[in-house]
Amino acid sequence: METKEFTIKWGMAIDLDKCTGCGACMVACQAENNLAPIADASNKIKVMNWITVYELSNGKPYPEHDVAYLPRPCQQCGHPPCVSVCPVIATDKNEEGGIVSQVTPRCIGCRYCMAACPYHARYFNWRDPVWPGGLEKALTPDVSVRPRGVVEKCTFCHHRWMAAKDKAIVEGRDPMDLPEGEYVTSCTEACPNGAITFGDLNNEEHEVAKLASSKYAHRLLERLGADTQVYYVSRREWVLRQLDNYLEDEKVKG
Amino acid sequence: MAVDRRGFLKFVAGATTGVLATPVPWKLLDDASIWTQNWSWIPRNVDGENSYISTISKLCPSAAGMKIRLVGNRPVRALPDDNHPLSMGGITALAAAEVQLMYSPSRVKRPLKHSGDGAYVAISWEEAEKILKENLRRAGSKIAYVSGDETGTINELLSGMAKESGSEDFYVMPSEVQPAARAFAAMNGNGQLGYDIENSDYVLALGANILESWGTVLRNRAAFKQSHPAAEKPTVKYVYAGPVQSNTAAGADEWLPAKSGTEAIVALGIANLLIKAGASVNAPDFAEFKALAAQFTPQKVASLTGVTPAKLKAIAVELSKAERPLVLTGSEFGQGTGVATVLAGTAVNMLLGSFGREGGVKALPLAPKVIASGMDRSEIADKDLVAYLSRISAGKVPAPRAMVFYEANPVYGLPQPAAMAKVMDKVPFKVAFTSFLDETAQACDLILPTPLGLERFDDVETPYGIGQAFYALARPVAPCAVDGKPAADVLLNVASQLNMDLGFATYEEVLQAKAEAAGADWDSLMEGEFFTSDAVAEQSGLRLGAAVMGKALAAAPKAAKLSIAPVQKLNIGTPNTAIPPYNNKTIRRWELQKNEMYVAMNGATARELGVVKHDRIKLTNSSGSIQARVNIFEGVMPNTIAVLMGFGHTAFDEFSKGKGENVMELLTVGYEAGTGQSVWNVAGVNVSKA
Amino acid sequence: MEERLLHPADGNSTSRQFGGAAPFFVGLVVALIFGWWAFPGMLFSEQEQPINFSHKVHIQDAEMECSACHYFREDGTFAGLPTTESCAECHSDEPLGEDPEEARFIKEYVETGKEVKWHVYQKQPDNVFFSHAAHSLESCNNCHDFSEVELCSQCHIDVANMDKAPTYYENKLTTYSKQTMKMWQCERCHAHPEHYGVTRSSNACFVCHK
Repeated sequence: METKEFTIKWGMAIDLDKCTGCGACMVACQAENNLAPIADASNKIKVMNWITVYELSNGKPYPEHDVAYLPRPCQQCGHPPCVSVCPVIATDKNEEGGIVSQVTPRCIGCRYCMAACPYHARYFNWRDPVWPGGLEKALTPDVSVRPRGVVEKCTFCHHRWMAAKDKAIVEGRDPMDLPEGEYVTSCTEACPNGAITFGDLNNEEHEVAKLASSKYAHRLLERLGADTQVYYVSRREWVLRQLDNYLEDEKVKG
Repeated sequence: MAVDRRGFLKFVAGATTGVLATPVPWKLLDDASIWTQNWSWIPRNVDGENSYISTISKLCPSAAGMKIRLVGNRPVRALPDDNHPLSMGGITALAAAEVQLMYSPSRVKRPLKHSGDGAYVAISWEEAEKILKENLRRAGSKIAYVSGDETGTINELLSGMAKESGSEDFYVMPSEVQPAARAFAAMNGNGQLGYDIENSDYVLALGANILESWGTVLRNRAAFKQSHPAAEKPTVKYVYAGPVQSNTAAGADEWLPAKSGTEAIVALGIANLLIKAGASVNAPDFAEFKALAAQFTPQKVASLTGVTPAKLKAIAVELSKAERPLVLTGSEFGQGTGVATVLAGTAVNMLLGSFGREGGVKALPLAPKVIASGMDRSEIADKDLVAYLSRISAGKVPAPRAMVFYEANPVYGLPQPAAMAKVMDKVPFKVAFTSFLDETAQACDLILPTPLGLERFDDVETPYGIGQAFYALARPVAPCAVDGKPAADVLLNVASQLNMDLGFATYEEVLQAKAEAAGADWDSLMEGEFFTSDAVAEQSGLRLGAAVMGKALAAAPKAAKLSIAPVQKLNIGTPNTAIPPYNNKTIRRWELQKNEMYVAMNGATARELGVVKHDRIKLTNSSGSIQARVNIFEGVMPNTIAVLMGFGHTAFDEFSKGKGENVMELLTVGYEAGTGQSVWNVAGVNVSKA
Repeated sequence: MEERLLHPADGNSTSRQFGGAAPFFVGLVVALIFGWWAFPGMLFSEQEQPINFSHKVHIQDAEMECSACHYFREDGTFAGLPTTESCAECHSDEPLGEDPEEARFIKEYVETGKEVKWHVYQKQPDNVFFSHAAHSLESCNNCHDFSEVELCSQCHIDVANMDKAPTYYENKLTTYSKQTMKMWQCERCHAHPEHYGVTRSSNACFVCHK
């Protein structure tokens, strides 16, 4: 399948050596994107988290043990497996910026996309969202609230891009040439460790583009060829090895 | 013409054909599909103009600086503030959900009275204040005040009221603050210890969970961010010593496994090596300290702490090679540590020449108190709540007739909470000023709702851990979502009716006076600015506190065969907030399943105990017992069981109530020899299959 | 009857067949009348604005610009309707005109601080993001020659000269306004290939959806 080319390609580089697994990104994401809280969040299959922090272990016993945390938003694939299986074109990758869109009112809830996504980045609304105690008063106006029966996922806080473009237009600037940092996702903004770098992968001036070309940058299941727009950076070889399936004696680049 | 069957069918056929040529079926089909997009029970987006208010969190122990985004007049998000020294472009997992906590289901919505049969009765503020006033009058000098605020001037008000009624019993919930303040006092120091972490080039955290919960966390983490450029070699090395590969260890460049509660010993082991290498301090008790440190040979340190001699030596060499090294001490769960721990850490800093140096330890000046009868920060640090309650429990001092709890939850948050609850039973009248219906409120006779920090005026003065003197105001961003009244206003009103002279009529005047005392400009504070100062407190005759350390360490409890290591994570909340609604998704899969919590141990320990992952076990010691399931995590020291804090709430709402059990049940209070400080950072435990 | 069924081709067959077609046409006409005339009336409920707002008075008599109320905020968002607070900058204590509606506005809204629940003729669903900033004269007039009024009237009712606010028709099923633009209407421009390259418009989902 051919990859659609865009002038701007929004991407992320997440430094796994800087992430300490505190969960600020997950909380910021829920509040920003109007996800509902849930009383029993221990059944991870039914819990909706557009960004999830996974724990990685080097598998060695104490004292050689090492730990890392991997935040996983939607990887915004270059040729997204979810798009080709959607029977109603509720998800697509057709817009400048390369963000895989998800139009929930169009979704019929067949969940083919969830089966197709190699990253478990898609979530199905098994229940109607509930905000107890008046919590709905703190919902943002930026993202529509989804009912049960539809699939949703991380959109790289697409609404923030729209807002940044509108601001640029009103100020008489070119909305397609935003200065670095004018549009970042909620998780990027929240991270106190600066583990997430967000920007245009096609713009060499942007930090994220530099990081993506680092020898320490890998992508999740890179050899599947989904051509994702999220890069993971680590100077630890064992961490990089876990981003894809390697044979025991196989070398990892970097 | 009579309509026969055939005629009717023809009519229907005609009507059907006709209808197909009208918008009816197509419009209805389209509209019906749109109708399904807007169920009445799904909230709709409510638009409005965006505005942002800078303020500071009174809920997050890190005193997070933040910008609140409002849509119209509705606060919707707590965002990081790039320009705030206590945010520096980041926000904690707890503060990120602060706006949402305004609407938490467990908020106290109106004043409540606990009736005889245990039910809550809603009462008016008028009646509530009357009950409060009468009971305070009746209690006279037999009254105790407990505060859960570490940085606010409200403590002067509360302690002032205690003193005005003839009582010395004002206490703040235990944290890292009290041992640090008492340690610096024992050193003959003046001011508050501050840590210039951002200018350091080598950071050794002994027990201090600096990247998760210790001190002004966001500032620590901003320093970590600066010194760890992505995909490059770090410019500053961070080393964390503690029993568990915690979040801080995950970020640190090196994890140095060291048993719980042995931070002082590790520090003295390093001091010994530094002194051998020629380091010294110009302090009157240096000789005494040198003799004490000499006892802590690498071999002895290894046997007591689990840190191998080679590692200890390597760390000592790295520290002495660094230009601006900094040692931070604390407890990995933010409380229960002794005075000796801070003294030992500060002694190492002094040996390294880091005291008063850029990137080192500073003595920060504190603003003088403004309520004359109140206590200042150093007086407050001397008041040991756990020791006081234990004395009541043991019958050594009589229980007060009344207790006032201000945003404090001792019934959940203190070690051995069951024993603490029994003390509560002995007090005839208890009142809780609280935003949430917590465990302490449930045990009180009168529950008075306070507005959250986002809904009231309050202040933050130089939180512990920060590297410069600081003062800022928390400002209301929205009206109180419930029928709450700021505790300060209620108390000032009651105080004046009881003829107490606190010198102020309103809390705003108190804050204005405090701002002036701190040297800050009120008008700019009111605009969301903050005050910082690089001034340092002058010192003379600074000692190392060798005698205090010597006594404490000589009588230090020996580590048990199997010990527990409580782990604190801010995302699971504090005793005051419990688990906020948006935060329980951040709890990891093998930390909690349904209502059962998991405890972690390494594979070797599990084999020794004969348990495997998911086994139900019972952890028991002389203080209490909890039940949990086993998770195998190799980032835990041998013979150690890591237990998360923040579970086992019996109050609050469906997001925290009944989830797991409270590790505080297992923490045993002891007293540090020499200082008498209550400590609970060492706890042995027995494990049996349940 | 039985006989008719057994012998359909009897003497009356022609006239019976003609008479037989009549019910069909009656049905057809009834359905057409119902579908084109009665049905819309049934589907939409007619509502008046809570306060009769005269654009004419504000523009012609008070000589206000459209942008006095409908303007871009600094952050690029569009202030669609003014708040009661901004109306109160002029309409505070005493009515400025004779209109009883103005007096009622001051009494019921300005004095109580309540917001008016205006019916918005073009209110889009929550899942639509419409950028007023992107639909600018500057962009459209690369090829078109719109005046400001013409551009706004592409979607909005031209109310500038109206003394009485138009009746608002609410769809009883969807609760949206009758004038709310449907996706195909957006696509008249968005799916138009001539717009690509000249404007930044595209027909990608996320250009309009949130």
